[in-house]
Amino acid sequence: MDSLERERRELDTILRRPGERPDSSVRIDRRTFLHKSIVCGTAVGAASFGWFPLLNTLDVAYGAETFKFAWISDNHLYPKDVNTRFVEKAVRAVEEVQAMTPPADFLIHGGDIAQLGDPVEIALGSDILKEAKIRKVFIPGEHDWYLDMGATWRKHFGDPNWTFDHKGVRFIGLDTVSRAPDYWSATKMSPKERMGAMATLDGSIGGPWAGVGSDQLKWLNHTLSSWPKDRPVIVFSHNPLYEYYPPWNFWVRDWREVQEILRPYTNVTNVHGHTHQVLYNEIGKMRSIGMLATSWPWPYAPEGVPDLTKCMVRADPGDYFDGMGWARLTVTAAERVQNEYMMFGRKPQNVFGEALADSGCADNVNQELHPRIADRGWYSKD
Amino acid sequence: MTRRVLVIVGISVAVLLGVTLGTHRALAHKERHTPEQLKIFDEVFLEQVRIGDLLFHGDGETEKKMGVSLSKTGMACAMCHPFASDTHPYEFPKFQEQIEKFGTLRDMINWCIEKPQEGVRIDADSDAMKALEAYIYWANRGSRLDPGRH
Repeated sequence: MDSLERERRELDTILRRPGERPDSSVRIDRRTFLHKSIVCGTAVGAASFGWFPLLNTLDVAYGAETFKFAWISDNHLYPKDVNTRFVEKAVRAVEEVQAMTPPADFLIHGGDIAQLGDPVEIALGSDILKEAKIRKVFIPGEHDWYLDMGATWRKHFGDPNWTFDHKGVRFIGLDTVSRAPDYWSATKMSPKERMGAMATLDGSIGGPWAGVGSDQLKWLNHTLSSWPKDRPVIVFSHNPLYEYYPPWNFWVRDWREVQEILRPYTNVTNVHGHTHQVLYNEIGKMRSIGMLATSWPWPYAPEGVPDLTKCMVRADPGDYFDGMGWARLTVTAAERVQNEYMMFGRKPQNVFGEALADSGCADNVNQELHPRIADRGWYSKD
Repeated sequence: MTRRVLVIVGISVAVLLGVTLGTHRALAHKERHTPEQLKIFDEVFLEQVRIGDLLFHGDGETEKKMGVSLSKTGMACAMCHPFASDTHPYEFPKFQEQIEKFGTLRDMINWCIEKPQEGVRIDADSDAMKALEAYIYWANRGSRLDPGRH
């Protein structure tokens, strides 16, 4: 058994105890039921699927008024003269958020506004986001951080972690990117080299950089301690707060500690970026939704996706808007948090891959993958 | 048939057999490979994999050295294909929707260079193409052959 498999088993043993799932007050409505039916491959699910396209709808119980908020992330902007397509897509997402009726209460930007942390890129992103006139909150991505260790990002967007209460929900923004183990000092990397290593998703140099960190865990614990255990909590993070695929940092390395802190709270929803794909999971009592990017879609992890994920459609690489977009989340008075993937140019029913040949998951059939070779010798460099 | 004719036929067959066997021997590497030879074969291959890996990940120096320009958008192959995933080398040749023809992996590599990356297509038999192909196949080793699959 390799270490990854051991880790996986540990996650299952610790967090998927028999019968443990989000609070029973989290109602399973028809949509969720249908989703599960499809996962199980039953006829009723398959027959009814076409009527319920938004299967990643969540249902969390609490009493409050209806409101919406929007998520945009993973724009990966280069300077305008290098890549105008990424700019076009970020602009489109912001325009669509701004056009929401009724307007969103706020916009959360989930990180990776820049590709290489360049101040020009971050300023460009900041300018684009100014077109959304609603309240905005921000968390960083690794692409924003490792050129100048977050100095420019902080200048534009403030603290990387924060909390606020809004209409009965405690919102928490976490910084899951700034606490990478130091891979640059011993090898005397330049800031650009440090950033380059971090910007390579499938590289090995950055190692397990995604994490919450002991100081921020303490802060999270303290922040939650004043909040009733059965009240809704929505946690924003760039990386997912569970282990999905560590080689691409589709996780936080200290997921055990995070889950330990969140365990007493029965209505926790984690909304995260970084994975650039339709993704849904339930870990312990926490529900987790992955968001689309505006830049490019990542393939699903080679070892598969969480069982509860309804896979997104295979994007058409010839259409540089396809497979990308933003998200509109509604917290309703009828005790629901609904997530709608706003995939550019696609109707909601075409976000998910229904036919096997059109599913991003089926795309991986027969595939076995191996890590890179060319970055293994970096440490022997003078 | 006279005795003389029999002798000539016999000699001709012997000569032909000798030539054939000799040639066969020369082409078939009947000698065992030494560990050193196998190591060299491996090194030659892995060096191409390494070069392909660098090109695949947008290494500017390697592009310059090989005289190719694979991207003008800042995008690299690996940005959509980490670990060369979803490149599906084991599915080619097949009908490739994007290029609307029955094509090879090399055709699709050039499509990606020209379209998403807005780079300059490379010769199908160029060193850069062979290196990219080497990396993609190597990263997907162990995958099951399934030519024609969409």
